[in-house]
Amino acid sequence: MLRTTPFHPRTSLINQLQNWRRWSGYYTAGLYEMSHEREYWAIRNAAALFDVSPLMKYLIEGPDAARLLDRIVTRDVQKMSIGQVIYTPWCNAEGKVLDDGTVSRLGETTFRMTSADPNLRWLNLNAAGMDVSITDISDQMAALSLQGPKARVILNRCAAKSLDGLKYFRLMENAIAEVPVTISRTGYTGDLGYEIWMEAANALPVWDALMAAGHDYGIAPAGILALDVARVEAGLILIETDYTAAHHALIESQKSSPFELGLGWAVNLEKGPFNGKQALVAEKAHGSEWMFVGLEVDWVGMERLFHEVGLPPQISPLTLRASLPVFKGSAQVGYASSSTWSPVLKKYIALAHVQKPYFEIGTDVLLEVTVEHQRKYAPAKVVKTPFYEPEWKKK
Amino acid sequence: MNSYDAIIIGAGHNGLTTAAWLAKAGKKVLVLEKRSVVGGACVGNDAALDPAPFSGGFLRPDIVRHLKLTQFGLNPAPVATDLISLLPDSRQLVLSADPVKTAESIAQFSAADAAKWPDFVRFMDKAAATLEAAYATPIPRLPKFSPTEGLPLAQLALKIRGLGARDMYAFIRLLPMSAKEFLDDWFESDALKAAIASLGIHNANLGVMSAGSAYNLLHQYLIRGGWGQPANDLRQVIAALESAAKAFGAEIRTSAEVARVTVENERVSGVLLASGEQNSAGTVLCSADPKRTFLSLVTPEPLDPEFVWQVQTLKMRGVTAMAAAQSAAPLPAGTLIVAPSLNYLERAYDAAKYGQISEKPYLEITTAGNSLSIHFQFAPYFLKNATWNAETRAKLESIVVDTLETRLPNLKSQIHNLKSLTPLDLETAFSLTEGDPHHGQLALDQFFFMRPIPGYASQKTPIAGLYLCGSGVHGGGGVSGIAGRNAAKAVLKGSL
Repeated sequence: MLRTTPFHPRTSLINQLQNWRRWSGYYTAGLYEMSHEREYWAIRNAAALFDVSPLMKYLIEGPDAARLLDRIVTRDVQKMSIGQVIYTPWCNAEGKVLDDGTVSRLGETTFRMTSADPNLRWLNLNAAGMDVSITDISDQMAALSLQGPKARVILNRCAAKSLDGLKYFRLMENAIAEVPVTISRTGYTGDLGYEIWMEAANALPVWDALMAAGHDYGIAPAGILALDVARVEAGLILIETDYTAAHHALIESQKSSPFELGLGWAVNLEKGPFNGKQALVAEKAHGSEWMFVGLEVDWVGMERLFHEVGLPPQISPLTLRASLPVFKGSAQVGYASSSTWSPVLKKYIALAHVQKPYFEIGTDVLLEVTVEHQRKYAPAKVVKTPFYEPEWKKK
Repeated sequence: MNSYDAIIIGAGHNGLTTAAWLAKAGKKVLVLEKRSVVGGACVGNDAALDPAPFSGGFLRPDIVRHLKLTQFGLNPAPVATDLISLLPDSRQLVLSADPVKTAESIAQFSAADAAKWPDFVRFMDKAAATLEAAYATPIPRLPKFSPTEGLPLAQLALKIRGLGARDMYAFIRLLPMSAKEFLDDWFESDALKAAIASLGIHNANLGVMSAGSAYNLLHQYLIRGGWGQPANDLRQVIAALESAAKAFGAEIRTSAEVARVTVENERVSGVLLASGEQNSAGTVLCSADPKRTFLSLVTPEPLDPEFVWQVQTLKMRGVTAMAAAQSAAPLPAGTLIVAPSLNYLERAYDAAKYGQISEKPYLEITTAGNSLSIHFQFAPYFLKNATWNAETRAKLESIVVDTLETRLPNLKSQIHNLKSLTPLDLETAFSLTEGDPHHGQLALDQFFFMRPIPGYASQKTPIAGLYLCGSGVHGGGGVSGIAGRNAAKAVLKGSL
């Protein structure tokens, strides 16, 4: 039996299709209306409100809290300032990614970590010999994500303190409807956005206040389907879709290093020992065999494939979470793990694993697509991600 | 800051063996010992009277030869003392190095067993020699290893095959057997089987009916060189090792507690003392048990968390207590045991399973003049609903005295100055985690290529330059010097 989040009394009433998906053992809305399109456009043009309570959350406290996290993740936690949030992957000893998430420095010796998979065992294993306490606060803490260009103005209408000074990947203590909340300027859409963290028991007044404040700005509760399109546009990876967590991989080739996932920017090889450092130093020296890149499908080429059978392009509005082979000539050189029609860009885009040397920006490749039950090859180009990055994201 | 070729942590018999071996090879060696005396588990606090975790033992003959220990005051290889089983009806069963004498003693119980004795000893000697060869074989990291690493393994396989078909199967079959089943194949007398089987549970959290106790039996037989404890003074072994190490140029410092092994760029850089003093060395050999080594002497950062987890789950679970006393009355010489029947020994072990002190324990008493040293099982480190304190110690001591009285009447009024070591004392005074004198149970899942941890039986550790040279690795367990010798050889074979 799946569990319900603290917002279920609200979200269950507006979920028109009763379309629920499973996320970390919780019911989470796939979409609220008959189609996810309005929810998607709310992300890009107004503001969308997501219930992200099922995220795994851990409170890490004590003199060795920074030391523990620094040993686990690939970025430098010791250097974080109080109130800073980082996005980071973390690896096993072989330098293969176990999970990715955020680390927030709430105080000198207090951190909150979010992750996709349960990480309590891993945190405890790593804490052997350290003076630190680790608490799984996943159930105690509810979370909302307000994403879109109007997110700030909506929050400013209902929050006790103005959000104007809050920089990208920073957090602040605040209050909404007199409920104490932490607001971080983070998200999973590549747009202007905030995540609001609160005690589960006080969750509903916060939802109500945000919905009321956002009414005039076209706020829309949004589900996973809309989010999935936005996160591909933003070039953000999804565990078990774009990579297999090393703990779950059945065979060696299913595992990926952060470099192979395009997260080399989040690997700090200068800091002290951390899990996977030796392997990552070696990989850096030799160069990675794989890279995670964006593919932009040539629309004219795509149209032609459908035209050949007498059809206009038949493109799903949903993100496809399935593997599509990528070719160079007749040789397979990779696979796309997420692909979608981008409504804002009016382009068909994909996130793909591509082998050396075909992952260089500008390389022409072919993406396998199915047209009327037949395999076809659409021309595509390796491009930089994010595909979509509005100027207001970091401003 | 002083710089050395190698720093050895712990001056127990293995640490000193490693030190002497490396110093003899011309290395600049420093030994750091936390206690004020050297000798580790071989030497009590007041060297003369206090109990130590081990009451007997000797070094392997090749170590004695290589380190020329007889030149440093060690008697040449002693014969094992008689193992004398004191039975409740005041009969005695004597297992001696002399097969004729032993057969005569066994004949009191079974003529058939007496007749089989010479064959049994012949098998045990062959099996022990094979085990010794296995202990001398460097174990590569399975499953991937180079042909040069595999060669010694192949030689070992040949050696096992060389036993001949019957003994080869008997040897391999012995390892996972219980001592009882192994001995049931040979003998009918319960008293005889129990006396032999006592070796199978010695210092092990096993009963005579537990799988793997036959292996421990063989291990004890090998390191004792027979049935009873070797006829020598352990303090003399330590003194000879210390003299040899110093003569070869090793520096030995006592009251020098190590706080941390320092690691730079995933390589050992030296040792930091609790006093704050730093000594540098590219090679550090640690004779502490694997738990102490990896969970407190090194920082966790350079270690794979999964490796740390394997260390955390190592089975230590000590079940041994020791006592020492003096007697006004004369004492019989030899190694005396209270192990009258297989059932008695199994019941003694049952108590440990339930976290209790055996009311009817297995005792091994070694005597020297008017002193007795008493090895007591089972006294589990983890007591149910109790801790090791004055009360449980008093209970332990009263069981010791009462049990002695059943075998050596009137001793109770004669003994004085009884001192005991609970499993907690073994941990606090001798740094034996959970009071396990073997630095990790000699169990089927913790032996050979799995000792201490699968993949790390070659003395090497995940940290370059850090080696284990204590009892917790392949070949270790009890007093033999095998682990210390193997570590020194491994280091010399490497780059040092």
